[in-house]
Amino acid sequence: MKMFNPRAMYVVAKKEFLDNIRNKWVILLTFLFVLIIVIFSYAAGSGETFGDMQNTVFGLLGITSILIPLIAIILGFSTISGEAESGALYVVLSYPVRRIEVLLGKLLGLGSVIIVSIFIGFGLGGVVIASTVGPESWVGYIGFIFLSIFLGFIYLSLSICISSFCKRRITSIGGGILVFFWGMIYGTILMAILFATGGGIEDLMTGDIPEWFFQSVVFSPGDLHQTAVQRAFGVETIEAMGFSIAIPEFLSTVNLIIFHIIWFLVPLILAYYFFKKRDI
Amino acid sequence: MVSKKIICPSCKTQMTIHGDPGEKIILSCTNCKKKGYFVIPIPNSVSNSISIEINNLIKIYKDVRAVDNISFNVRKKEIFGFLGPNGAGKTTTIKAMLGLIHVNSGTIKINGFNMKKDNIKAKEKIGYLPEKVSFYENLTPVQTLNFFCELKGVDKSIVPSLIKEVGLEDAMNRKVGTFSKGMVQLLGIAQAMIGNPSIYILDEPTVGLDARWVRYIREKIKMLNEHGATVIFSSHILSEVETLCNRVAIINKGKLIAEDTVANLNKYLRIKPRIEISIDGLDGKVPKIIEKIKGLDSVNAKGNILSVTCDSHVRSRIISSLEDAGFKIVNIKTIEPSLEDAFVKLIEGDTK
Repeated sequence: MKMFNPRAMYVVAKKEFLDNIRNKWVILLTFLFVLIIVIFSYAAGSGETFGDMQNTVFGLLGITSILIPLIAIILGFSTISGEAESGALYVVLSYPVRRIEVLLGKLLGLGSVIIVSIFIGFGLGGVVIASTVGPESWVGYIGFIFLSIFLGFIYLSLSICISSFCKRRITSIGGGILVFFWGMIYGTILMAILFATGGGIEDLMTGDIPEWFFQSVVFSPGDLHQTAVQRAFGVETIEAMGFSIAIPEFLSTVNLIIFHIIWFLVPLILAYYFFKKRDI
Repeated sequence: MVSKKIICPSCKTQMTIHGDPGEKIILSCTNCKKKGYFVIPIPNSVSNSISIEINNLIKIYKDVRAVDNISFNVRKKEIFGFLGPNGAGKTTTIKAMLGLIHVNSGTIKINGFNMKKDNIKAKEKIGYLPEKVSFYENLTPVQTLNFFCELKGVDKSIVPSLIKEVGLEDAMNRKVGTFSKGMVQLLGIAQAMIGNPSIYILDEPTVGLDARWVRYIREKIKMLNEHGATVIFSSHILSEVETLCNRVAIINKGKLIAEDTVANLNKYLRIKPRIEISIDGLDGKVPKIIEKIKGLDSVNAKGNILSVTCDSHVRSRIISSLEDAGFKIVNIKTIEPSLEDAFVKLIEGDTK
């Protein structure tokens, strides 16, 4: 007997894509992508022309690290809990389909919405920059697009995990907000730990930062993403507050890819565990 | 119909009972009067005629036994009513039949396939309409039904006819998110019919529909059954169940308290018919002559109608007594015991 039916997964993915590509928040955020890329590029060019791809990307990394997780959480937070609460999932699971097929179908369908959104948003922005200041650093830019998609899938995996775990849609919203803000406040928490353990602002300014401070980047997908994008553009040092801090060997390209994969797979495996055990 | 000799476990009195294989016979011992039930065994050849087989099903939510050791069978090509008050465990049992919840113990077989081991095979021939049905807001009914056709591996060319069948042609290009509750319910029915299932599991199928569509669904259930489908449906409208069902199961507080035909339930529960006698000038007063008659369960008067619940053979005595006393009888109506009577008696008895 077949243990997995890829056709069922594809059917669920197609339905998720069709249903969510028309989500007004996704449409709004996609337009926002195009807008901020053009604005940041113009700002990177000192307001006289568009900046090159690398400067534009580095300028908007902070914002895309917020917007991409936001899209992924909007798409995924209620995909299980919300549908279980509304009754839609009752019907789907009464069909000859396995829960793993539904879960992976949802991941692929919602992931496709993120891919389309990022390709339209960043792709159009990239075309505008390339046509005005030239396609320098285009390899890094393409790397940035793929890493952004990867970040989207990580947060999608996290939000589906929350949705599988939470019984109700309202608690999933809470979980989604928690995950979203974790990425935002993580840096502040690290700073607090640094200061509490005897470090100071002067250590940051001189680059005398303990190793654990860099290593703890692995606990924040957003920070991992930013470091990976810098690596994609071949940057070896982080420019912060007028100082140059070398990216440690520990955060090599291979290690960054491994950490990305772990951040994607662990929540997904947990999501399947919760979904399989769940009473609908 | 088969006969079976059984022995009372208390006083060892031998009794003979009659019933169909799989039928649950409610009885009391002819000697010690101890009440109990006996399920007529199903020979192997007959078990092929079972669509849904539920054995010793238990589902516990935290400390609550939502389904408490339930066993019953639904035969092929029958309409089976599943009744019970709110919170009795009907929906939990239905969800267990579809593998939507994990049960603590017990087995469920659909068309002979074990729901736990052959989940996919078991669900292939089921059409399900949940009590709380919902679809995807941004999809049109065509896209919704296309999705379910693909999920079941059924040709999508049937979708327009399904939409026409439930009268949603005018809303074909609208998003389901704009539909009324009744329209969503109709779409749910169309969805349940995909792939001509041999078993329909309908949880409160007429809820939220106007009279026209309630009638349509009742006719549809009858038609599906006439075409050979087994239908199990839960409803709180007892008259609906009574009209449609071959057999019913009544569940209360997670326990199965009865499973039989409506006529048999009334027979076993000794529910008597009610006689309504229309008398000129009664004025809501029960005649004293009636109160003297033995064998009456209840008597009451409202306006010119005298209602008496009694055995059929007492009926002629009531009429002649009234006529002898000079009452002018305008009309006599005998109301046979209904499923509602059986339901109320069973639930009340179970509560006590």
